Amino acid sequence: MGELCQAEIAIIGAGPAGMAAAIRLAQAGIRPVVFDMGNAPGGQIYRQLNAPVIGETLSGTDYYRGRRLLRDFSRADIDYRPRSQVWWGQCESDGVSLGVVDSAGASRWHVHRLLLATGSMERSWPFPGWQLPGLMQAGAAQILFKEGGLVPEASPVLAGSGPLLYLLAWQYCRAGCAPQRILDTTPASRYRLPLRYLRGAWKGRHYLMKGSRMMLALKRAGVPIHHGVEALEATGRNRVERVHYYWRGHWHDQDTSLVLTHFGVVPEPQLGRAIGIPYDWHEGQQGFLPVRNASLQARDRVWIAGDGGGIGGALNAEREGRLAALSMLTVSANDVADRERERRRLEHRRATDLAVRPLLEAMFRLPSHWLSEQPDTTLVCRCESVSLGELRRAIEQGAVGPNQLKAFTRCGMGPCQGRECGESVTRLLSTVQARPPQEVGYYQVRPPVQALSLGELAAMATDA
Amino acid sequence: MFQRIAESSVIDGVDIQLDGEIYHIPVTLSVAAAVLFIKGDEEYRRHVDGHARAPFCLMGCCHECLITIDGEPNRRGCLVSVAEGMSIERQLEGSQDDG
Ligand SMILES: Cc1cc2nc3c(=O)[nH]c(=O)nc-3n(C[C@H](O)[C@H](O)[C@H](O)COP(=O)(O)OP(=O)(O)OC[C@H]3O[C@@H](n4cnc5c(N)ncnc54)[C@H](O)[C@@H]3O)c2cc1C
Ligand code: FES
Repeated sequence: MGELCQAEIAIIGAGPAGMAAAIRLAQAGIRPVVFDMGNAPGGQIYRQLNAPVIGETLSGTDYYRGRRLLRDFSRADIDYRPRSQVWWGQCESDGVSLGVVDSAGASRWHVHRLLLATGSMERSWPFPGWQLPGLMQAGAAQILFKEGGLVPEASPVLAGSGPLLYLLAWQYCRAGCAPQRILDTTPASRYRLPLRYLRGAWKGRHYLMKGSRMMLALKRAGVPIHHGVEALEATGRNRVERVHYYWRGHWHDQDTSLVLTHFGVVPEPQLGRAIGIPYDWHEGQQGFLPVRNASLQARDRVWIAGDGGGIGGALNAEREGRLAALSMLTVSANDVADRERERRRLEHRRATDLAVRPLLEAMFRLPSHWLSEQPDTTLVCRCESVSLGELRRAIEQGAVGPNQLKAFTRCGMGPCQGRECGESVTRLLSTVQARPPQEVGYYQVRPPVQALSLGELAAMATDA
Repeated sequence: MFQRIAESSVIDGVDIQLDGEIYHIPVTLSVAAAVLFIKGDEEYRRHVDGHARAPFCLMGCCHECLITIDGEPNRRGCLVSVAEGMSIERQLEGSQDDG
């Protein structure tokens, strides 16, 4: 399977969590290998910050905050490997084996300890027409903005829920292409929740103030915001021409060529699941999170830091990266006290920062029955074009769990390997069978977790 | 469908071939972003079910951006940056392997 390489510690992901961990390990004299799919370090939030295309007035200050991390990362002694995809992993008694593909081909790695810092992905949230061209996730629009300074030619409609939706709307306003309107699925009453979560609200006041400032700026720019939109549909012949939304007891239509949706983010699960880490349903985050102990360790020799372990945002990811690094270092007697102090300081800041999360989770909570209320024609599995109706019929015919549903319908068997439909299937079964999502479970995930080209597969077959 | 904002910093360009035609494209764009920039989303890709599809996540998850790059089909266009002399072909036939 290609060349066999060794390292003491491997980190997968060069977002804030992976970068912070690598920097801390390098400070302690360990040279970690860092694999990342991107062209440059930064992960999702600090994408393209190594050579920024948009200025701070357009991006907002959070983006430029990452420069310090990028600088420390570039100066530290780290075996950083951009454009490398980890497609396979296996825990063994003396370490972890990894399969990596990069532009030079495939290689196999054996490492003693592994940190997964693979981040999150946008939550898939099906409704009729969500597969049409002209409908993209808000994160995708932000990537176009950060990587190329690209904005929509015609004013888009933004739909969904959560801080990232408003961040994008705000950025577009600054860039002179204010959205036509915002279809917020969060009921207006939820924005009064901080009054009930006073402690979290106080500790997270900067997050809340940032949010209110953004909303105020949008209102000033004259962007209509509809709170409490209950259903969505996109229609058009070959692409989106119109969006329909159910609001205040009626359906409304809006002509548009671009709809950008956001329904929160969830940990990207493929690699963690493929190497056998258990995932538990988290009611607050409405998704599956890997099970970790207080030192962020998920199993023997494997740690998980950042949004891949649960959604906590960029600052939390950075702190978790450092905490994981401290836990991975085998401690020598003379620096025990220093490390312990560092750890406690980080833990304290992390707890303060995370105190706002239950409030944010309650504020942006999505209706868990959403999917089961969609019409039968709604696609759930985009890759294999499996509709909600087909899934309902398969459930009636006796498909009791996600893996059976997959075998019955091909749902989750396409190129994305179930990333886009996995939690939808869990949610649907949970509603239909009135069982908690934890009990319903998730697809069995098997490698390759990154799609390999035929050439790469052939190269490995001949080398093996 | 997408345009560059005037305030964005000057970026080097590269020449790529998209379905045989040459375009000058900012080097920071991914293949998927470049195709959206040049052609829009209406004719990005035909899906196995015969319908038009276009990039959805741009971060490697959804596999809606599958495209042929330098002769190799079904690459995720959002994970590959444009490069000088690169040849890109859209998959408009409505057939696709699971690879
Ligand atoms: C599309 C998107 C946009 C976002 N934008 C913002 C924003 O503007 N502001 C904000 O505050 N928060 C944003 N977030 C939330 C943001 O993800 C977190 O705050 C922060 O980036 C989390 O850091 P992280 O290090 O945990 O993961 P990430 O920053 O997501 O980094 C994970 C890295 O791991 C790599 N990776 C994953 N799997 C593999 C693999 N198998 N092989 C190799 N590499 C792999 C990825 O390419 C990525 O570079 C965004 C999230 C998403 C999904
Ligand atoms: S657009 Fe989703 S994988 Fe490329």
